[in-house]
Amino acid sequence: MNRRTALKNCFIVTAGVAFIPSCMQEKSKSSLLLKNIKISSEQEQLMADLSDTIIPTTDTPGAKDVGAHLFALMMIDECYQPDEQKKFMSGMEAFQNLTKKKFDKSFSKLTPQQRTELLTELEAKKDEKDNEVVAFYKVAKGMTLQAFTGSQYYLTKVRVYEMAPGRFHGCVPVKAAKA
Amino acid sequence: MGNNNENRQFDAIVIGSGMSGGWAAKEFCEKGLKTLVLERGRDVKHLKDYPTTNMNPWEFKHRGRIPYEIEKDNPVISKCYAFKEDAMHFFVKDNEHPYVQEKPFDWIRGYQVGGKSIMWARQTQRWSNFDFEGPARDGFAVDWPIRYNDIADWYSYVEKFAGISGNKDGIDTLPDGEFLPADDLTCVETYFKEQVAKKYTDRHVIYARCAHLTKPNDIHLQQGRGQCQKRNLCQRGCPFGGYYNSNSTTIPWAEKTGNLTLRTHSVVHSIIYDDQKQKATGVRVVDANTKETLEFFAPVIFVNAAAYNTNLILLNSTSNRFPNGLGNDSGVLGKYVAFHNYRARVSAKYDGMLDSITDGRRPTSAYIPRFRNVYKQETDFLRGYAMTFSASRGTKQNNDGFGNDLKTKLLAEPEFGPWYVGAGMMGETIPKETNFVTLDPVKKDEWGIPLLKISIDYDDNDEKMIQDFFKELTTMFTDAGFIDIKTSDSKQAPGLDIHEMGGVRMGNDPKTSMLNKWHQLHACKNVFVTDGASMTSTSTQNPSLTYMAFTARAANYAVEQLKKGTL
Repeated sequence: MNRRTALKNCFIVTAGVAFIPSCMQEKSKSSLLLKNIKISSEQEQLMADLSDTIIPTTDTPGAKDVGAHLFALMMIDECYQPDEQKKFMSGMEAFQNLTKKKFDKSFSKLTPQQRTELLTELEAKKDEKDNEVVAFYKVAKGMTLQAFTGSQYYLTKVRVYEMAPGRFHGCVPVKAAKA
Repeated sequence: MGNNNENRQFDAIVIGSGMSGGWAAKEFCEKGLKTLVLERGRDVKHLKDYPTTNMNPWEFKHRGRIPYEIEKDNPVISKCYAFKEDAMHFFVKDNEHPYVQEKPFDWIRGYQVGGKSIMWARQTQRWSNFDFEGPARDGFAVDWPIRYNDIADWYSYVEKFAGISGNKDGIDTLPDGEFLPADDLTCVETYFKEQVAKKYTDRHVIYARCAHLTKPNDIHLQQGRGQCQKRNLCQRGCPFGGYYNSNSTTIPWAEKTGNLTLRTHSVVHSIIYDDQKQKATGVRVVDANTKETLEFFAPVIFVNAAAYNTNLILLNSTSNRFPNGLGNDSGVLGKYVAFHNYRARVSAKYDGMLDSITDGRRPTSAYIPRFRNVYKQETDFLRGYAMTFSASRGTKQNNDGFGNDLKTKLLAEPEFGPWYVGAGMMGETIPKETNFVTLDPVKKDEWGIPLLKISIDYDDNDEKMIQDFFKELTTMFTDAGFIDIKTSDSKQAPGLDIHEMGGVRMGNDPKTSMLNKWHQLHACKNVFVTDGASMTSTSTQNPSLTYMAFTARAANYAVEQLKKGTL
């Protein structure tokens, strides 16, 4: 599949979150124009489903709702060095191969139980160096966390970012502070 | 621009619109002089030209990070702590104005109206006689032709107008000034202050004085500035005018008089010297847009192009009388440049006071004035170091696992981590003839001006000072019960401190210095240099406040001399 088709698919994915109130919409969602890395629509779907598994949508928004996988791909494309991008891409392939080998299916077709099983295994191996699947998972998770905790939703509804606090108190009891 | 109708004759020309040029403009315009300010970059209007100032974190495409493409093309400026997505438009990119590094030097520049006063760290500590008497006492550089008393009133003058927040601490090495209220120290900073006071009579932990309007006075309201709102996003330009920069303060003040002509995109090529009249008559400018060469004339010229560009302009201003650069009879022009040694840091944790925390944000830190070799020489290295000091707590986030388990942790009330404390060394360096800037004999920039060649390095004195800082701070931290004490040496090249100084130093003797006690070139009295280039030695304190005071003092002197007809 060429990039144009992949991009079209990405817009469809984006449209799927239209039920989220407009204040939670992220600007970066519909701007996925990759310059350096090539992502198939299957891989894009994998990133979307992986981020949703890491921070799921429940009765509150999750990673998918803040466009975490699009943010992750854009950041890897624009802010990572070429060797880091290569490592990420080969790690993603290794992740896809592992999933196929283990379950004979792509990640997106796995049941929630199977996804949990796979990620539990990777979390247990998170200190392993030179494991490219683990390395890929850690980058994907790190980017998902950054996208979620740096999102408008998170910074206006969960831990409210104050642009202009207008105050500084050098020493107050922990309970009195706004985190 | 550059049309025939453009006025070419002024009462004063100021080269540069940054930290010091803004002050020259204000003083001249207030005194009724028709003043031309030449700025090599674009205009940056207060409020209007701060495009990122009100952006939320999630509105930055890369969440503040610099894209790899830009980082790769800009290895030097990418090292600067403030070169991030929100302020990168205020910094000069590496290829916009190349220079030759004979030794590694990170030259951090801001080419626009306001210069680096837009992105500066806003630290404003006065210098003392321990600084001005240093070279004479310790036998390096040359004696400063001035003392603290010459400049004290001018410190007050600029502090009142700029707005400086601080405490009157009564410390010999750091004279008190005209202060707006200080912000708090944090719990652990106060604790450390008390611990240090128990053991030492000559070491002090104080609130770092900074150019913030904690409580504006009338003069600041007249400038159209308001109270600092503790955003800590200063490098973007402040929508409240809460900190001092030229754009919000001196330049509009000068403009209001009707006497200011601000010419942007004007790269100064050289200062014109008239052999018959035996003085400078004007300034040669290359229009950055048209590449046309233009000349502007005035009886007095202030060079405030920022330290090394000021050196470059004088080195490039050659004439029959001055074949080696304007005013350079002594041969010291470009030499004895120095900087601040910012390589070293000591950090630690503190497990006490865990029931307390800070609330809100603070645009400054704590400060430990120099205590080494103050009253007498006591170590095997010359001079000493001041330190930034801060203690703060962050949130502790457990990101283990995934799924609902992880999400629950992300949505829960945050937990706070231990107190993190850190001290950053600000070391005085010794100006030496072997540290110099000069013109490259071959390479030129796109405006036809020779590239600056920079040859500056650390020396043994700097290395010894770093070791002493590590030892002393480790002891002080240990005594205070701090744990996990770590020393680190960034090994960063000179320049990243953004405190380059010297090359056009002041001194009493024209044979060994460039400027007299009024910042006039000894050999060409109607040219003044009042920016970092004029510094004879570096002190440990951040130099901007001193440039401002020097400029105001010299500008007022120049106006008096113009009236007397002696220029």
